[in-house]
Amino acid sequence: MEKIKVEICCGTACYLLGAAKLMNLEEHLHESLKDKVDIQARPCLGLCERDNLGGAPFVMFNGTEIMGNASLEKVLDRLNLLIEGDK
Amino acid sequence: MDKSLFIEMEAAQFTKTGQAACGDNVRFLTVERENRHLAALSDGLGSGLKAHILATMTTSMAIKFLESNIPTLEAAEIIMDSLPVCEVRKIGYATFSLFDFRLGGHAKITEMGNPGYIHLRGTTEIAPLKDEMVVSAHWPDREVRECEADFRPGDRIIICSDGVTQAGLGQRRDMKFGWRRSGVMEFAKRRIEADNEISARDLSMAIAREARYIAPGGCKDDISCVVAYLRHPRVMRILTGPPYYRENDAEYARQAFLGAEHTVICGGTSTNIIERELGVKVKVNLADIRKSGGLPPVGYIEGIGIATEGILTLSRVLSAIEEMRSPDNEPQAARMILERMMSHDRIEFVIGTKVNESHQDPGIPQELELRRSVIRRMQQALERNYRKDVVVYYY
Repeated sequence: MEKIKVEICCGTACYLLGAAKLMNLEEHLHESLKDKVDIQARPCLGLCERDNLGGAPFVMFNGTEIMGNASLEKVLDRLNLLIEGDK
Repeated sequence: MDKSLFIEMEAAQFTKTGQAACGDNVRFLTVERENRHLAALSDGLGSGLKAHILATMTTSMAIKFLESNIPTLEAAEIIMDSLPVCEVRKIGYATFSLFDFRLGGHAKITEMGNPGYIHLRGTTEIAPLKDEMVVSAHWPDREVRECEADFRPGDRIIICSDGVTQAGLGQRRDMKFGWRRSGVMEFAKRRIEADNEISARDLSMAIAREARYIAPGGCKDDISCVVAYLRHPRVMRILTGPPYYRENDAEYARQAFLGAEHTVICGGTSTNIIERELGVKVKVNLADIRKSGGLPPVGYIEGIGIATEGILTLSRVLSAIEEMRSPDNEPQAARMILERMMSHDRIEFVIGTKVNESHQDPGIPQELELRRSVIRRMQQALERNYRKDVVVYYY
């Protein structure tokens, strides 16, 4: 199974509005998920300039799926769903 | 001075163990209108606060007299007449070494009571063009040495307090008279042989550290070493902010690698422009995310340099420069920028002036400084506190 790629935007707005906490995502992952998720920090995903995506901070899953107003809880929930969907 | 040359002047100091203040003092001054670069080192009588005051008074006066072109002997007499007299020793005394480098390559070195300066071209010692002793009528026991040196690109001048040349005195059998001037010179030659482009900052620190640890048991005296190094400037470039006009993106991106030794990209949007225009990719290691410490993590762009977040990181760097804090305790991104700034002579800022609308979000809890105002303050602080040559370009 391919790892799920999680890209966290580290632009100024995202960082101030919550991405700083998302940097600790790895620590919050359940042991059984750690080898299934590939966490990456991106300088800026450039999403805050686009409408209708929600607000910063932004996270992208597998290079296509965008999550606005991301929080640790929301990201962990989404990862659980994505992993279950793969089973 | 030829604009393609830069004089790097740096000092390293250690305070005598057990004392609250350093009894040596170093001061630098750049006189832009005359293209002159001045340095003064003074060692105050005794140690601790009293010596610190004597040394600081001496360097303050000396650098002012030097700037005003007052003849050296006259200046030395005024200094000696002004220093407060020590109650214990019944004398007022502080040694000094003055370095005055001006357009055309000639340097003037004036010494009173300090160890003789060292002039190295590569690893060869260069003798002064002129070397004279003058004696004051007021103070017949004080001799002032006046030298002129042919200071060429690549040359270094080393000036020390006696805490360096006498390090190890009475502590090591193989150093009956301490490290001595000859020991300092041999050490400096070895360091230059190992790295012929060693910076003034690194060489002064290496010499001071060697003096500090030459014998166990702490510093027996205040230790100061000043190094002046004339060379072609080491250029560092900082790109920050997207250009106002999108059609300038390609030219802006090319600045990332043209003519600079080290480049730092500060800002997510700027980094995206570099990635897009140059076809490169930023890598952020997971380990760097873990140790980013209060600022967004640092990314690496192969063949170019590092990429950091923009305004938060620059604001942190600015406060460190304004307060002259050591880079060591700063978050990783700020520390890496500060270390690069310290090891380069000319800092070029390439600033895109487009306003980032996402920064205007009322939900952002902190006040974000405007990029241009941060860079303006950074330029002033780099020039004033670190004698860097700063250039700013706008896109």
